[in-house]
Amino acid sequence: MSAAEKIDFGDLKLARPKPLADASDGGATGWRCWVWTTTGIVLMLLFLQLITGLLLAFYYVPSADHAHTTVSFIEKALPSGSWIRALHHHGSQWLALFLFLHLVELFWRGAYRTMATHWVGTVVLLALVMAAGATGYSLPWDVRAFFSTRVAEGIVNGLPLVGTSARTWLLGSNEISTLTVSRFFALHVFVTPLLILLVLGWQLFVRRPTRPYATAEHDCENRGQSTVKKTWRSSVLNQPTRNVLMAAVVFVLLALFAYKFPAPLGPSAANAAADYLPRPGAQFLWLYQTLKYVPGALGSLAGVVLPGLVLLTLVGLPWLDRTPLKLVMNHPRRNTGAAILSLSLIFIATMTLVSYVSDRRDPRTRQQLARQAAEEAAFRQEPFVPALLKEDDAATSPAALALPSPGISATSPPAAYTKLCATCHGTHGEGARQGPLKFPSLLGVSEKPRRSVDDIIGILNDPTAYKLEPPMKSFATKLTDDEKREIANWIVTLKKTQQTIRP
Amino acid sequence: MRHHNSSGSAPDRSRRAFVLVLPLAAIGGMFATIATAALRFLRPAVSASREKWIDVASVAELSGNKPVQRKVVAEEVAGWARSLAEHSVYILPGKNNQVLSAVCPHEGCEVSWRADENVFSCPCHDSNFAADGSRIYGPARRGLDPLPSRITDGKLQVQYQSFVNNTQERTPRG
Repeated sequence: MSAAEKIDFGDLKLARPKPLADASDGGATGWRCWVWTTTGIVLMLLFLQLITGLLLAFYYVPSADHAHTTVSFIEKALPSGSWIRALHHHGSQWLALFLFLHLVELFWRGAYRTMATHWVGTVVLLALVMAAGATGYSLPWDVRAFFSTRVAEGIVNGLPLVGTSARTWLLGSNEISTLTVSRFFALHVFVTPLLILLVLGWQLFVRRPTRPYATAEHDCENRGQSTVKKTWRSSVLNQPTRNVLMAAVVFVLLALFAYKFPAPLGPSAANAAADYLPRPGAQFLWLYQTLKYVPGALGSLAGVVLPGLVLLTLVGLPWLDRTPLKLVMNHPRRNTGAAILSLSLIFIATMTLVSYVSDRRDPRTRQQLARQAAEEAAFRQEPFVPALLKEDDAATSPAALALPSPGISATSPPAAYTKLCATCHGTHGEGARQGPLKFPSLLGVSEKPRRSVDDIIGILNDPTAYKLEPPMKSFATKLTDDEKREIANWIVTLKKTQQTIRP
Repeated sequence: MRHHNSSGSAPDRSRRAFVLVLPLAAIGGMFATIATAALRFLRPAVSASREKWIDVASVAELSGNKPVQRKVVAEEVAGWARSLAEHSVYILPGKNNQVLSAVCPHEGCEVSWRADENVFSCPCHDSNFAADGSRIYGPARRGLDPLPSRITDGKLQVQYQSFVNNTQERTPRG
């Protein structure tokens, strides 16, 4: 590295920010100088992800209760919210794409030979960006997020040896729960960005010896060429400027794209229907499609182990010429790298294409996807309804619980009732009042028409069939059949004649 | 960069300045776009749910000259969340059933009625108010804040609101 590459701060010797050096170290002429600007584009997209992610974090709440509400709020109620979320969503896919292209550019320019650390850092960045995408997908906690978490869970579970424990570690418990949302949130918002920033900092500021690899005849800077006369054009359009301009072009394209196509957001995961067809983000379509062809637990090999091995080989590429591979071929690094990159490109492109095509071919799939899209569109049109935060209302406050229950029912309420119904209908079915909201008492309901045990079970399954309106909702999937019957059996014992416990 | 190290002639310097204009304008444009959206996105949500009339008491049960403490439950909307907040108020039967907010106009603690001394007293900084809510002494700069109230069908109703603290004049928040 020449002395001019360094910024001298007395004792502190810092390298010039490396991507800028890379960008200006050229190695091409004419149009290639414009193509070799993925550094700038990737940096722009990375910072855009950080900024938009930071903005979303101002409103997002990582809990199964509120995640979907807060994302809907961002999407429907906040000014610019839909656009910012769309930038973050599409940006993550564009980032994966441009990082791959950056890797191809680096390979083309022989970076694995001359800038081993930069090469390794970029491969690690690609892995981290994919990990950030995978964890971020769960956060909106809509139906799509729920099923993608399901699939991630299944893939991890199928890993040899560590599968079972890796699954519970990922989920935070033995099933998908609110702990899963907060885990994915921590991984997406703290762990991966921190690692990405560490790698970026390492690439930008940590100095390490590299061999200069720009040659005079392939120099976008026209540097070191006393024979070429410096022109206005060549000094205005130096390589950093080209990087910035290309980044700006991509930014404008992404901004328009995000404006036109909002990020997907379906109904809440709580309303997940069994026939829902989940589809992952574009950067994971190849993996999704591959899993269709791989039987059972081998899917985990295809989903984790194989991509892991490919990334590891790419990381080790700069040192492949010190392995016995050189006995077999002439340029082990160049040949292996070219093989891996082109095969992955062909594989990913093919699988992504097959996935798109097969979704459109099968009429049943096409109809279901169209139905889901219509559902999403309808959900998007619905106005945002703020969620009611549970206060320590009187029904559950210590004072109310301390009151004796003067024989409203011969038996105490079933546990499932206390858990799901008591907040609105009172600890003993006496009903409740939360400010302006009045929840009906259940005392003596069995005397009314259509309120037999079987009717009450029917109401729990589908309140709309009994002309009941929200906030009464369906508990079809939240209670077992035994629990529904237990609750119904208890409710019919409640008698109106007995006094209520509320003064 | 190497060619920047030579001090160069005047046209050289202006050329160098010009070289920076293009990338800086591009970067500035990107930042400005995002910053505009960010400002709109982060602007605090101001909710106006004050119009609701909340029952506090039935007029029949109010008598005497002592303030009567009641709780009102007001629905508040903050961004994506609705919540029911309980607030303390005092009804003054001796003053035509005026309703006072129990929030101290100093720093916002909740005053309590001291029957033995016939004053409202703030537990935080010892502001004291007379039985009609007027300020007696202490750091508060005005008396307790009256809330809009009315009587419908024999029920005393109130609109709950909060006021800017630490000022002499009374300004509703929101």
